[in-house]
Amino acid sequence: MNAMMANLPLASIVTFLPLAGAFLLVFFRRESVKAIRTAALAVSVLTFALALLLFFGFDGKAGIPEFVEHAPWLGRGLDYHVGVDGISLFLVLLAAFLTPLALLSSWRAVNDRVKEFSFFMLVLETGMIGVFVSLNLFLFYVFWEAMLLPMYFLIGLWGGRRRVYATTKFILFTMFGSLLMLVGIFVLYSAYHRATGSFSLTIADLAGIALSPALQTWVFLAFGLAFAIKVPLFPLHTWLPDAHVEAPTAGSVLLAAVLLKMGAYGFLRLGIPLFPQAAASFAPALSILAIIGIVYGGLMALVQKDMKSLVAYSSVSHMGLIMLAVFSLNFEATEGALYQMLNHGLSTGALFICVGILYERTHTRLIKDYGGAAARMPVFAAIFLVAVLSSAGLPGLNGFVGEILCFFGIFASSRVLAALSVSTVILSAAYLLWLYRRVMHGPLKDPDGLLRDVDRRELATLVPIVVLIVLMGLFPGAILRKMDASVSRYIESIRTKATASLTWKPATRIALPIRISGDPAGPLQLEGRRER
Amino acid sequence: MTTFMALAPLLAVVSGALLVLLVEAFMKRKSREPLGYIAAFALLASGFYTVRSWNQDLSFFGGRLLLDRFALLLFAAFIVIGLVVILMSLEYAARLGLNLGELCGLVLLAVAGLMIMVSSTDWLVVFLGLEVLSVASYALSGLKRPDRASSEAAAKYFLMGSFAGAFFVFGLALLFGTSGSLDFSTLLANGTTRSGLAPAGAVGLGLILAALGFKVAIAPFHMWAPDVYEGAPTPVTVFLTVGPKAAGLAVLFRLLVPLLRNESFAAVFGPALTFMAVLTMFAGNLAALRQKSVKRMLAYSSIAHSGYILVAVIAGDGPSLVFYLVVYLFMNAGAFSVLAAMSRKGAEYTSLDDFAGLGRRYPWLAACLSVFLLSLAGFPPTAGFLAKFYVFSGAVREGHVALAVAAVLASLISVAYYLKVIVVMYMKDENGEVAIDQENPALYLVLFLCLFGTVQLGLWPGNLLALIRQAFFKVF
Repeated sequence: MNAMMANLPLASIVTFLPLAGAFLLVFFRRESVKAIRTAALAVSVLTFALALLLFFGFDGKAGIPEFVEHAPWLGRGLDYHVGVDGISLFLVLLAAFLTPLALLSSWRAVNDRVKEFSFFMLVLETGMIGVFVSLNLFLFYVFWEAMLLPMYFLIGLWGGRRRVYATTKFILFTMFGSLLMLVGIFVLYSAYHRATGSFSLTIADLAGIALSPALQTWVFLAFGLAFAIKVPLFPLHTWLPDAHVEAPTAGSVLLAAVLLKMGAYGFLRLGIPLFPQAAASFAPALSILAIIGIVYGGLMALVQKDMKSLVAYSSVSHMGLIMLAVFSLNFEATEGALYQMLNHGLSTGALFICVGILYERTHTRLIKDYGGAAARMPVFAAIFLVAVLSSAGLPGLNGFVGEILCFFGIFASSRVLAALSVSTVILSAAYLLWLYRRVMHGPLKDPDGLLRDVDRRELATLVPIVVLIVLMGLFPGAILRKMDASVSRYIESIRTKATASLTWKPATRIALPIRISGDPAGPLQLEGRRER
Repeated sequence: MTTFMALAPLLAVVSGALLVLLVEAFMKRKSREPLGYIAAFALLASGFYTVRSWNQDLSFFGGRLLLDRFALLLFAAFIVIGLVVILMSLEYAARLGLNLGELCGLVLLAVAGLMIMVSSTDWLVVFLGLEVLSVASYALSGLKRPDRASSEAAAKYFLMGSFAGAFFVFGLALLFGTSGSLDFSTLLANGTTRSGLAPAGAVGLGLILAALGFKVAIAPFHMWAPDVYEGAPTPVTVFLTVGPKAAGLAVLFRLLVPLLRNESFAAVFGPALTFMAVLTMFAGNLAALRQKSVKRMLAYSSIAHSGYILVAVIAGDGPSLVFYLVVYLFMNAGAFSVLAAMSRKGAEYTSLDDFAGLGRRYPWLAACLSVFLLSLAGFPPTAGFLAKFYVFSGAVREGHVALAVAAVLASLISVAYYLKVIVVMYMKDENGEVAIDQENPALYLVLFLCLFGTVQLGLWPGNLLALIRQAFFKVF
């Protein structure tokens, strides 16, 4: 088994299998809707199965990329170079896990042009996974941009009333950032050429060259803007509520769960390792923006009338916490940020699917139109509650693990920021539980008897997420253990490069008496921190 | 014999043109299609001789005819564009009442003009080529005789073009007066030994730049372009947006790259060219944003693309220049060939509203147009992205970071209007009256060729890049 797996270009297969599936769909007859849906689902499930092989085959002790494939492509450093490490592995898994569920969730919601819909979903999956597995900056950028198009069409063709406005805003915002990043890539490309005399855009190579502080600052800003728009960091978030509200359920799920993560991932993979000094000097400013995002997003979520925009603003708030953790630049916070990225993907994905299920029944998303739904939909209510509590960070569920790690890490960097960031717990509990109470409890508002409980297909969509939410809350070690080496390598590398100019107080050992054990067998436990 | 070899690509085209015009005179009114085949055959023959000359690096008449690989690559591009135009016209001409014989003959002559322009380092020969090209293009843009827009285009193009030609000649006179030669390299030698050109010579060069800028449609000399591109028959528009642009920029490249290495010269002309490039990109893209007609929008977008290519000239990046031109040929011709497919007897559908619902009724055609537009906008993995990547990264490598930033911002603007067409095609309600020309194999061949080029050059451009690099490592 292992020998066979070693020979398979597994990373490439996982990346391009959905694309191949998408082109297979072209040959289906337009009318055979069911066959198209089934085929798309089968392809995405197969992709997830192969992604699981990546997970089980991943060793992760060395902290270097595994399943690496490197082949010349366009020459002069523009190579095909993919692989996964502890940072990207789980995001690949997240994308591969949620795509089939998103397809399943739109089984009935999308009846118009199903062929194109499934095509774009699968192309989007390739784009998302491609961004995470790329080890070459050029390839990264190709996937990064190419991924915009399927999302553009998903929102624009199957979206709500203001879909054209929302999707145009989405693509122009994101492209504005990414085109400046492209100039940043050119600068790096020529800087590397000047420094070494050869051409390369391999990310690891680029991290090795010394850039002047001024150059670092500018290029970091170019990259940072692209990622900050994607996250989105306050005040660049305005595209997000529009896009989310207008997108079809499947689009919202993938947008919130995976596409937003690309911003944070971009900082972890490129923004910080390539420009550690600049990143360190901008960390305070970006942290403050993140804090503003946490509070602003939370307050906005409190006053939303539409369930979807409530969840969208909750994303702004949660991504703020993740960014704050990323910019704390220490081990715990980074691991927490990564874990929280997965949690947010799952819980927000589940929330969007839940909202979609309600919408399919009543064709309204306004909170005031609902009430007492739990009486008619007991199973749904239970699942919705799990998603809400996971998002609010209830101990025992996955959200808690991520948040606590983030808070530890942030605390080690700055107590003030940590104190402020804890407001996310209060705010998210407030808006989510209030949402739950208004929709699920109180007097029943269902004059036409539209509220049916979830059927088998909807259960199949939601139960995997719920199971994962619980498992990740109880056994975080299984995942954290595979991240450890990569994250500590990442922290080491930015420490060594940025110590000279690190104005941001680095985490000290004393400030961190505990850490969460990486024991996959046992439940969550806290133990004294070992010297590393 | 070798002289013949050198002239063969050119001779094939010119004799093809004469043959077409001769046969046309004796043909019956009805079927003119054989003329198209004769023209296509002439182009293929020319292509054959172009390929044969690849390894020979020929130079004749004291450098007045220079068949280096740079020129040969451009020859190949001109031949492809000629073929595309002729194949597109076979049905189109019949439907819109154009005379196919005249069209083919003039296209061949124009191609000959283009070839002369890029294969010489002598100003007078360049001017000769320019005039052959211009006269043919004036006539081409007025071919839709009953149509007022077409006549207006021809008149406008002719008047403005004559001015540009006069500028060119006056510039030549000044250059000849100061340097005593009409050869690029002598000019260069005189430029470097003294500290820059004599003032009169510099003025002369400026006039020549203006005249070439006119041909290429570089702002502020682009005013004629939208009307002409919109008024001309669509296949002719394809020719006008690609052919003169490629030849003009290639001449600019041959001329400017050695000159820009001279400090005192670069101090004057460097900022001027940068200003023109930025102005062109923004003027083209901002104007395109407001167009209601897709054809006119593509006309403005073509101006913007002149600006992008000028960036490659400023950076002195020959390989990127040629790559961009080839890619532009495919994506632009592709977009226009979809427009050509949307025509009925006597008229074309070019308004944005005509595209509403195209995605539902003609999914394949709409998908093709989407690919071309996305490539023009520079989305990966299409060739348009790669072309922009090479051009802009070359600019950054040469230290023109601000120019590259301006260029990417300009392409952001362009995304808005290219996507607008896609939005209309897929996201607006249908427009029932537009009928598509479904049985036109030649047009579909063109469409397929362009699609293939746009996708293939985006994913596996290795062969073309290898050819281009061969060309430039020999020349410079």
